[in-house]
Amino acid sequence: MELFLQTIIDGLLIGGLIIIVGIGFSLCFGTMHIVDFAVGEWVMLGAYAGYLMVRTFGHDPMIYLPVIFVIFFAVGWLVYPLIFRAVSGKRHNPVIMGLVFTFGLSIIAKGGALSVWGYHIQSITTWLSGKSISIGLVTVPALRFSGFLFGLVVTLLFMAFLYKTKFGIIIRATAQDRDTANLLGTDVRKVGAFVYSLYAGVTGMSGVLIGALFSIHAAMGAKYSILAFFVVVLAGMGYVPGVLVAAIVLGLLQSFVTVYIGGRYTLAALFLVMYGVLLITPKGILRRGI
Amino acid sequence: MKRLGIFALITVAILMVGYAQAQEKRDFFKVGVVTSLSGELAFGGTVTKRGYDMWEDAVNAAGGIDIAGKKYKVKLVYADDQSTPATAAVGTERLITQEKVDFILGPYASGPTLALAPICEKYKMPHITGSAESPLIWVKKFKYTFGTIPPVNLGPRSAIQTLAQDVTPKPQSIAILGIDDAFSKFSAEAMKAAAEKAGLKVLKYEIVPEGSDYTPSVTAIKSLKPDIFAMGNHEKAAIEMIKIAKELKFNPKAYVQHYGMSTPDFRKGLGKDMEYVYGISYWTENMKIQSSGLFKNPKEYADAIRKKFNVDPDYTEAGCTGAGLAFQEAVRAIKAAPPLTDAQKDALIGALEKLDIVTFYGRIKFATEGDFYHSNAGLESVTLQYQGGKLVEVGPPKTRVAAPKYPAPTWDKR
Repeated sequence: MELFLQTIIDGLLIGGLIIIVGIGFSLCFGTMHIVDFAVGEWVMLGAYAGYLMVRTFGHDPMIYLPVIFVIFFAVGWLVYPLIFRAVSGKRHNPVIMGLVFTFGLSIIAKGGALSVWGYHIQSITTWLSGKSISIGLVTVPALRFSGFLFGLVVTLLFMAFLYKTKFGIIIRATAQDRDTANLLGTDVRKVGAFVYSLYAGVTGMSGVLIGALFSIHAAMGAKYSILAFFVVVLAGMGYVPGVLVAAIVLGLLQSFVTVYIGGRYTLAALFLVMYGVLLITPKGILRRGI
Repeated sequence: MKRLGIFALITVAILMVGYAQAQEKRDFFKVGVVTSLSGELAFGGTVTKRGYDMWEDAVNAAGGIDIAGKKYKVKLVYADDQSTPATAAVGTERLITQEKVDFILGPYASGPTLALAPICEKYKMPHITGSAESPLIWVKKFKYTFGTIPPVNLGPRSAIQTLAQDVTPKPQSIAILGIDDAFSKFSAEAMKAAAEKAGLKVLKYEIVPEGSDYTPSVTAIKSLKPDIFAMGNHEKAAIEMIKIAKELKFNPKAYVQHYGMSTPDFRKGLGKDMEYVYGISYWTENMKIQSSGLFKNPKEYADAIRKKFNVDPDYTEAGCTGAGLAFQEAVRAIKAAPPLTDAQKDALIGALEKLDIVTFYGRIKFATEGDFYHSNAGLESVTLQYQGGKLVEVGPPKTRVAAPKYPAPTWDKR
């Protein structure tokens, strides 16, 4: 019983980590139709940013989360015009162009990080590191739980923003029909830049949490890029609320397969589920994607 | 006319290449190095690079390799395998066919080494790896490949033996978690074999893919309450697994890890949580070895590494420098001046097989038969443990500096 309950908790908390990586990615894809291959590299750069701030100024990395959001928002704002150029104009297949362009960005980020910060494996510690709460039979690691809460809050904020504010409506209108939104006076480029910056900011912040949980190195992003793609396929391409459900399904799947079948079958199980979803319900498990 | 021009150009080019080949004359040894300078294994690749560079520096500072009274310097030419086997193979081919190196010093990891070795067979190019430990390399019986670090199946057993024989109360059970790569899973397998031999009950033995979230695996192991939690992996996964064990309040009586616990990243990544972790090594700077070659003893070597690179050396650096020393002695034995001819390269293999030297790194004596063909049979592993922030030798009894601390206190009592 203890093992079963702990497996559920592990699964939920792994799901929480997948949410924080997948949520911005899904927003970016859902509204701007940009498949950002560099999502894992934003995580990696966020982790390094946290590491550098701790090394330079000291204190707990958690207090730098807002600063990192602002920095990554600004970087996203600067990068977006390049992506916009790659995906607009007379290109035959803008989605593929975006994919190729961001793939290039990911390689530059990875290579750059390796050149600047080297090959060493870095770690950051927060006041929550190594702490956990025992509830009945289960142990809940504090840092992972905070990541889960962070993912939950960000998803709710994104949803409130998209569905309850005027700017959210503008974003959704742009996502639905870019040309008409443009004709109605929306600055499509600015909307895109805002969404991309928001995504970069949130993903950068998630990097600090992930870096504190695991370890920081230049190649750490690849795994999160794959997870982000998994979650978006499962959630339904671009359906933001679906990320929550999909990430938890992925987390639980990973946890249960590892504990009850064997760790070596986890990736196979994940791929099987992803192929199954693509074959049976290509719009995601909630059938709400595009 | 145009065709004639192209024909003439090609002819000139061929003649020039032939001329260049005929002119290949050097008064130094050109040594190819294939290792991981980028990608996932760049950390370890750089450790090997330090070891190889140290050998190059030391041998050149001593004037070079003495061949029949004349000294020839050494020049290393690197090829980055980008942490992938395919690139290791391409890099090796380039070093052999274009750079025309005399011999090759091999990669950090076993995967790239397994891709490099067949290329060396094809071109009959002598190769010593100063780092790779997978037994898969040796069972293939490559004629041109040697290694200074014993195979991983022989390594972790000293740590398990120390725990099974030298601590009280005697541990009864063990759970082993390994990573699925050419090295780590054999490290895990060696732990399992040693545990079974020592009469420990193996409660779980699991191999998981690299890069996955190890939390559920550690949860499954925690539920079995083993006395020993053993990990076959590299430093990154080791750091993460111990972090997870702490988060889950998993309190085994001993942690065993191979390879990576002796690296600076492990110490920095875990801080105080590294205390009580066991590991193994083939070499430490405290070992009492006297050598007549370059570096008189382990301490002198460790000081040289610290002076040049500002890091404490691990056995991988020492093994890589040892690989250079093995070549140096073998090439001196056959009195072959650079560049080496094909016949001399073959003679070098014979000399390496006959080699039996004691260096600062310990004894180098390559096996010439059996499943560990051409791996170093001259060394035995020692058991290490973190005690008071320092790595100390806790076994086997003849090399022990301090008694093993067992059981490890629970996380809330540290």
